[in-house]
Amino acid sequence: MEKRIIVCIKQTPDTRSVKMDEATGTVIREGVPAIVNPLDLYAIEAALNLRESYGGEITAVSMGPAKAIEALREAISMGIDNGVLLCDGAFAGSDTWATSYALAGAIKHLGGVDIILCGERATDGDTGQVGPGIAAWLDLPVATYVSTIETIEKKTCRLRRCVETGYETLTAKLPVVVTVVKEVSNPRLPTLRGKQRARQVDIPILTADDLKLDKSKLGLQGSPTRVVKIVKPKITRKTTLLTVKNEATLDQATGALAAFITETCK
Amino acid sequence: MSEEPNTNYQKVTDRIVEELQAIVGERYVIYGDADALEAYSHDETGGKQWAHPPEVAVRPETTEQIAAIMKLANRERIPVTPRGAGSGLSGGAVPIYGGIVLLSDRMNRILEIDTDNLMITVEPAVITSEINEQVEPLRLFYAGYPMSMETCSIGGNVAENAGGGKAIKYGVTSRYVLGLEVVTPTGDIVQLGGKLIKDVTGYNLVQLMVGSEGTLGIFTKITLKLLPLPQAQVDLLCLFSSPEQAIGAVTTIITACGIIPTAVEFIDRQSFEASCKYLNETLPYQDAGAMLLITLDGHSPDQVQNDYEAVGEKCMELGATEVYVADNPTTSERIWRIRRNIPEAYNLITQRQSGEDIVVPPASIPQLVAKIRRLAEKYDVLIPTYGHAGDGNLHSRLVSKPEWSDEYWNELLPRLQTELYQLTAQLGGRISGEHGIGHKRKKYLAHVVSQEYITMLRAIKRALDPNNILNPGKIFDMEPSSTESIT
Repeated sequence: MEKRIIVCIKQTPDTRSVKMDEATGTVIREGVPAIVNPLDLYAIEAALNLRESYGGEITAVSMGPAKAIEALREAISMGIDNGVLLCDGAFAGSDTWATSYALAGAIKHLGGVDIILCGERATDGDTGQVGPGIAAWLDLPVATYVSTIETIEKKTCRLRRCVETGYETLTAKLPVVVTVVKEVSNPRLPTLRGKQRARQVDIPILTADDLKLDKSKLGLQGSPTRVVKIVKPKITRKTTLLTVKNEATLDQATGALAAFITETCK
Repeated sequence: MSEEPNTNYQKVTDRIVEELQAIVGERYVIYGDADALEAYSHDETGGKQWAHPPEVAVRPETTEQIAAIMKLANRERIPVTPRGAGSGLSGGAVPIYGGIVLLSDRMNRILEIDTDNLMITVEPAVITSEINEQVEPLRLFYAGYPMSMETCSIGGNVAENAGGGKAIKYGVTSRYVLGLEVVTPTGDIVQLGGKLIKDVTGYNLVQLMVGSEGTLGIFTKITLKLLPLPQAQVDLLCLFSSPEQAIGAVTTIITACGIIPTAVEFIDRQSFEASCKYLNETLPYQDAGAMLLITLDGHSPDQVQNDYEAVGEKCMELGATEVYVADNPTTSERIWRIRRNIPEAYNLITQRQSGEDIVVPPASIPQLVAKIRRLAEKYDVLIPTYGHAGDGNLHSRLVSKPEWSDEYWNELLPRLQTELYQLTAQLGGRISGEHGIGHKRKKYLAHVVSQEYITMLRAIKRALDPNNILNPGKIFDMEPSSTESIT
């Protein structure tokens, strides 16, 4: 019962180096070390675990500049079988709507997939919309915030997902789009042998034309999202130290603390 | 303090506090507040027996204020203990005779980044990692890499001649200190060295000050050498099935590959298990007996790739069961934090322990590890061992079993230390590679050095600090004690 798995990953700036261009509202990527979006590593790990349990083949798909091929090679060095890069000037500036349209096109192009795995969100844009977007474009069921992929049958799978009130377990028809949270598994590290293999693997580069995509739905022009303004939150952290010297000040201090908590929780 | 030699120090009185207030300003003198002073009674050595509070703490802002404080202290015969960030591991900043603690925290400015000479001049309280944050955009770096670099200050690094993770390739702090402005123990201000790569104008007093543990002078300005920032860095985490296999690989890697790694860290099973549990890290360490963390850096990604391929393959050839590769800052940090958090992990497990800092010639490291294992078996004690295997410096921790009583442990620990230091000395080693002697190890100093050497140390101290005012009771006592000749 081998499964065909696709993992969608994004190359993001190193977490410590994320900076925004306030004029354009986009993330500054030039001259900043790039990594695989840390939350996508959990999707990669989940895919590797599924392959270990059920067999099959995993393809990592990424959209980005030519440099994003490094992210695919990193995924392969962790154990992913193949990589595909969507790279085309037509993709530049795409928002989540356009990005998920392009990724959905690539998944259709690859064909025959059972499970599409994504990270919860990317640490640069922080939207969490691309996974569900892919499902919408492909008209597939989607399960977000999945913490456990319990079982996979011939035509269905059982998933456990985090919701506000706890967990819910659901059965979904395959193919399915799943976005995972950190709980799903701890990502393994790339190995020396993995790195060596990743250098040899041929990673095809696909364009909008290869995928027969409608260019009016791609890039900055095709993206409905406009960043109007970026606001930095003010740091309002203030410390009030309540010193207790004797019984009387103890009551005062606990009273003040209780009042503070009541006020804050209003 | 267990043994307090007869000293003739005077107590800090209200009149002296007023004088101190006149020098630094009233709000920068901490006095009469036991809770506030407690913070300056200890460093990170651990164990209440090493702690002692000061009578007063002062926070000067200028070199001249420090000079005035030293003159006052000499006149009144009050001991002065300089303190950086308090992250020391041998008690260097602990005022064991009370008196004045001199806090450097207000002197925390970066004074100049000289990109023509590749040098930086800083005040002592600058946090070590802050230097790299400032110079990295200029494609420069400061090569010191103590494991506490996010919390320790550069003044303390210079005072202890801090080593750290990159010493095998880049050496220790002393290699980078070119100039010092120093307040002497008697309150004079003197400039030592400067922006000079070569300088033989008189004795090499800069290097006398580096590693003097706050006993010979107070650094108020420090000029450091910077290096061009390596453009690529890769870390390898190599799992071996036994500690002997891992430690045996260290010298072979260096000699056979013809590459000096930036770091070669050894981490035994107990140490990485404790740290991984502390960090909730789930690397498959269960099957590993020891790990090597090897860092390689260089001017281009291709060069570093060639280097790590060679070193990684050599590790596999020497029995590594897996070699992980971290070639970006996020993955690198995931690996290094396992190494850096070992002390913290053990601090949570027990307070009854002693972090050691023994150092031997690098090629003797396998013998040292074998001897430590036999010592642990002999006393049925835990001795997790990790550290800078590439440069011969290991951090064994002597850790009490939970069921042992305080009495038993307090009686056993000195015996363990004595044997550990003796076996280190037999291999041509010393009792501290980078943490310093402080007061924690001073009674063991005579085990590994000659009497003539200690006599020389005393002569230097006496010449610069005739009243024994600056950080007294550290490294050695001025008068020989009865325990000094038990080798």
